[in-house]
Amino acid sequence: MKIVKLTKKNLTSVIKQAKHYLEKDGLVVFPSDTVYGLAANALSKTAIQKLYQFKDRPVNQSVAIAVANLNSAKQYFRINTVQQSLLETLLPGPFTVVLESRHKAITQLEAEDQTLGMRIPDYFFTKALSQSIDSPYTATSANLHNKGPHYSITALLNSLSYKKKQLLDLIIDYGSLPHNQPSTIINLTGNKIAMLRQGDYLFKPVLNQKVISVEQTQLLAKQLLEKYLDQADNKALVMILQGDLGTGKTVFTQGLGHHLGINNIVSPTYVVYYEYLTQNPLIKKLHHFDLYQLESPEDFEPLAIDKLLIPNNLLVFEWGEKLGSIFSLIKNRNTLIILIKINELTRNSREFAVYQLS
Amino acid sequence: MKILAIDTSCDETSVAITQGQKVISNVLFSQIKIHAPFGGVFPSLAKREHLTKIKPAVSLALKRAGLIINKIEAIAVTFGPGLPPALEVGVNFAKALSQKYQRPLIPVDHLEGHIYSGITLNQMGKPKRQFRFPLLALIVSGGHTQLVLMNNHINYKVVGQTLDDACGEALDKAGRLMGLGYPGGPIIERLAKSGNINQYSLPIPMLQHQSLDFSFSGLKTAFKRLIYSLDEKQKLEAIPDLCASFQQAVFTSLLIKLEKAIKQFQPKLIVVGGGVSANKELRKQLRTLLAKKIPVYFPPLKKLTGDNAAMIGVVAYFKYQKGIYLTHSETLDRLPRTNLDNYIN
Repeated sequence: MKIVKLTKKNLTSVIKQAKHYLEKDGLVVFPSDTVYGLAANALSKTAIQKLYQFKDRPVNQSVAIAVANLNSAKQYFRINTVQQSLLETLLPGPFTVVLESRHKAITQLEAEDQTLGMRIPDYFFTKALSQSIDSPYTATSANLHNKGPHYSITALLNSLSYKKKQLLDLIIDYGSLPHNQPSTIINLTGNKIAMLRQGDYLFKPVLNQKVISVEQTQLLAKQLLEKYLDQADNKALVMILQGDLGTGKTVFTQGLGHHLGINNIVSPTYVVYYEYLTQNPLIKKLHHFDLYQLESPEDFEPLAIDKLLIPNNLLVFEWGEKLGSIFSLIKNRNTLIILIKINELTRNSREFAVYQLS
Repeated sequence: MKILAIDTSCDETSVAITQGQKVISNVLFSQIKIHAPFGGVFPSLAKREHLTKIKPAVSLALKRAGLIINKIEAIAVTFGPGLPPALEVGVNFAKALSQKYQRPLIPVDHLEGHIYSGITLNQMGKPKRQFRFPLLALIVSGGHTQLVLMNNHINYKVVGQTLDDACGEALDKAGRLMGLGYPGGPIIERLAKSGNINQYSLPIPMLQHQSLDFSFSGLKTAFKRLIYSLDEKQKLEAIPDLCASFQQAVFTSLLIKLEKAIKQFQPKLIVVGGGVSANKELRKQLRTLLAKKIPVYFPPLKKLTGDNAAMIGVVAYFKYQKGIYLTHSETLDRLPRTNLDNYIN
């Protein structure tokens, strides 16, 4: 392990040393616009294995790579014109952008869904480093997995065992870095979640109704609830709402809530779901889900939805079309499943198509 | 009094050590949104492993504070509002600590935390901050939008709140509608700088409404219709203007209601908290509105604007002073939809 002090004057010689070690599959600790980072050649399998060994990071966890500019980024990432224009505004800057990988960098660095994180930092040292080497390098923080990042080399070294220190080849010490926040992660890839396709299951049409106001939407919610309420005593009631942003999914759920004596329902988008105790003997709890933020099938696991599929529970799912991967689980429990599709006709009118799974 | 505070209300596992209003350490292990480590874990709910993170977070918070757990005098925890299974992890861990070490347990509402985040101090007791009542708090985050009046510590009256979406959620959803990825708030803030706020006219939510409540779902729908009316090329060219116009509509709505509330309650101090309070443009417009007539406090660090345990510890200190804590912690349960109005004492 070698430590060099970076000053205003010796940038060229320090860059030369960093280049030397990176090309020999070494690990280099470097200063950045956010925290001290750990660089390894992103095209070398040996170097990347060493990196994961150092970080104690589970092998399935992804690591972002730093590139010189958008042009060289295109070798490693799929970037469409919309993304291109956005990236031109944001970068270089303190952002990690998640994009589709071209699998040219070591694929171990990718996430399970084959996306890869990209950084183009706005910092004199990283700019100079990217210009001097041809391959991209990892831009992960120089700390162990599940430990906080470091703003000084002393703090980093104090946190490492002798064995860990031996894995580092070069440390570039630029003193104490300003305590900037770690980079903001922006995900520019689409959803990887399985969609619920109505055609795969036997849904029987129940009714089709046009509404022209919030009041009418909530009246419809009340009528539907009354229709199925009796069955809630021996089954979990599941309502799956499908409809674009702003079609009235939360408004509909508020209507269900009013009928159950709940008047403080708001959008649960941020926390994924809220639960409410009701005053009703047949439905004791309302679980209001919003799957808008969910991006992969694993996202369902911590929500433990199966535990909620018991009698006297009403589960309402906004963006219920994302239930694809766990729909058979819901179906095979003791549940009554109602599918509600909301279609925006004009600014104020909506069409509600209601189906029941038979 | 040294307090160990835990917040697991959503997707961040946070543990802090506080002493009075001072933050000694504030550890944040997060996945989604803005605080993720350099090249860290990518957004995914499945990785919200509060269970595996809470122990390392407690150890690190103690280590950074240079303390052993026996020196901690009370445990504080967020019991709501939030994602039920996430809250449960923090509450159960706090209960276990409180029982094991025989320390009082102080339950804190996450929103109290956002109010008090504006008066947190660093280890040296900086910046200088003084309470004045009546105090009017504006909470603006991804999950909440509220105006809260306080006539004393730990005494809240919710005078206005969102009827549907939170303001941060509205910004995030607008970001997605424009294809800007997630989270939308900070990206819109950056792109809005080069945009024209008057290029598109959007409805200012609840403008004619006499109450102090907010609503962002109508604005969201109007914005969606606007976006859908543009073709791909037009949209691309218009993105900075779209960002500026939308952000301004959200902020104007906040400012109008705040101004109305000030007239009604004549507060001596304004505090603003929550993730959206990190937005520099919002801070600027709030300062202009208040024009130095009423002091306004924002969280002193960006880290304190979002979800964090330091603010929970600071609230807990004031609660303890008022005798609000549990000695038999078994009775505490998570409460996913809490209401500040219920704590009047």
